[in-house]
Amino acid sequence: MGVIHGDLMTLNIGPQHPSTHGVLRLKVKTDGEIISEVEPIIGYLHRCFEKHCENVTYDQVIPYTDRCDYIASMNNNFGYAVTIEALMEIKVPERVEYIRIIVAELNRIASHLLALGTYGLDVGAFTPFLYMFRDRERILDLFETLCGARLLYNYIWVGGLSHDLPRDFVESVFSFLDYFEPKIEEYNELLTYNKIFIERTADIGVLPPEVAISFGVTGPNLRGSGVKWDIRKDDPYSIYDKFDYDIPIGAGEMGTVGDCWDRYYVRMVEMKESAKIIRQALKGLPAGDVHQALPKKIRPPKGSIYKRTESPRGDLAYYIVSDGSPIPYRLKMRSPAFTALSVLGEISQGWMMSDVIAILGSLDIVLGEIDR
Amino acid sequence: MYKYFNNIFVAISSILKGMSITWRHMINIRKGNVTLQYPEERWPRPERDIGFDLDSYNVIRSRLHVDIDDCIGCLKCERVCPVQCIKIVTTKAETKGEDLPDIGHTGITSNGTKKALIVSRFDIDMSECCYCNLCVYPCPEECIYMTGGPNSHKHPIDYEFSQYDRNDLIYKFAKDVDDEKISKYVSKKIK
Repeated sequence: MGVIHGDLMTLNIGPQHPSTHGVLRLKVKTDGEIISEVEPIIGYLHRCFEKHCENVTYDQVIPYTDRCDYIASMNNNFGYAVTIEALMEIKVPERVEYIRIIVAELNRIASHLLALGTYGLDVGAFTPFLYMFRDRERILDLFETLCGARLLYNYIWVGGLSHDLPRDFVESVFSFLDYFEPKIEEYNELLTYNKIFIERTADIGVLPPEVAISFGVTGPNLRGSGVKWDIRKDDPYSIYDKFDYDIPIGAGEMGTVGDCWDRYYVRMVEMKESAKIIRQALKGLPAGDVHQALPKKIRPPKGSIYKRTESPRGDLAYYIVSDGSPIPYRLKMRSPAFTALSVLGEISQGWMMSDVIAILGSLDIVLGEIDR
Repeated sequence: MYKYFNNIFVAISSILKGMSITWRHMINIRKGNVTLQYPEERWPRPERDIGFDLDSYNVIRSRLHVDIDDCIGCLKCERVCPVQCIKIVTTKAETKGEDLPDIGHTGITSNGTKKALIVSRFDIDMSECCYCNLCVYPCPEECIYMTGGPNSHKHPIDYEFSQYDRNDLIYKFAKDVDDEKISKYVSKKIK
């Protein structure tokens, strides 16, 4: 009797599927339940971000950057503002720098809470999702008092901020941090060290550091593979070099270095570090005028610039070519989620069908940013 | 064999640990913190108190509203809109700062500026609006604003304005007057 070889079955996940975190289609070739090939098909959320930017003025681009990574809009605004400021050589007041870091780190916490909560949902843990969304809601409420919007802020402008902090904002952020930091221990008990969760994620979808680097993966995904690389430390922008914080890296505590659990845990520790940065920034918040350095008309000199910042998903960079007019000649956005998705096909080969969902969730992609 | 039973023990104990947290939360739950009966009751909107002059720091995102009597037709909001959802048509009035009750035109704004233009069309398509608030900042007369919040003395909050027809989301703020009537007051120089 010979061995019966079955054909590969092609299976579609998405475009509308709760586990794909947006409109992503995965073309999966399966041999039984073993994955032999995964091909992500993107473009369902394409909104011509880069082409749009060539038709609107520099300050009108900011609402469009909000809509790329809609989970962490502040960081997108931040990266864009920093890039244009470097091109125009604007020196922003110190108060602006501090407020920017406070809101960017708050948004990092909110983004990681969403990533971790939905990751629990992907692998079958429902309760942590509700707890994390409850706490994320408090951050969104803070942002709502700050600028009126909950997700798409348009708060960080080129050369400053749209307006100053509201009264009592500093106190309410402190009280949020006092509330939030003990909650991380609760998440750990609830999900991180849960045996079932560890079984689902440890040793699954191992991303070796050399593969991660060759694919250009950045952010928590790269750090989960044990590479200590963070733009905030290695190529500091704004005033990140003033603060004292650690860069967590994956250590293979539950399995191999670079598995899904490591990527998950790096985000969990990063929230603690962000809280540390926020505390330091709130303590050192100087007085000043946030509108002082706002340019009357944004008209950068001829030239081009490439500047990268650390968004919650990794290395977010803008390449801007200016021809001296108030409209960008070319704007390119380097999206960290795009590179994270490109590595999916590489690391999910040979795993089971259900593991693909776990691997995809651990990469923490946002389709708004991938398709732009 | 030991590993097998140890695994079972760890799994059960970690589940119980999680269960104890959820039970703790369930017992400690405060009254009225469970479910919000949405259309009847709403989540309270966070207080926003910028600390100084509220009018110049509009920090709410809701439906745009225009006090058309104060609008001088400078087109600043139309130019700054990233999605071009504001459409304004103006014509030059014959005399500056004169009330024209015939077409509902007021000559002087509440800030005391004399109007030189008649705004015959001021449409905002709220289905296109991206709530970026960029149009609010440059307005010299502070007549375009988002409703509620710091502006609630001007207009009550309105953030749930769904319509059956897409065209009903185009808000027309200019006075509904015939072009013929307006043409009587248009400056002769243009003609």
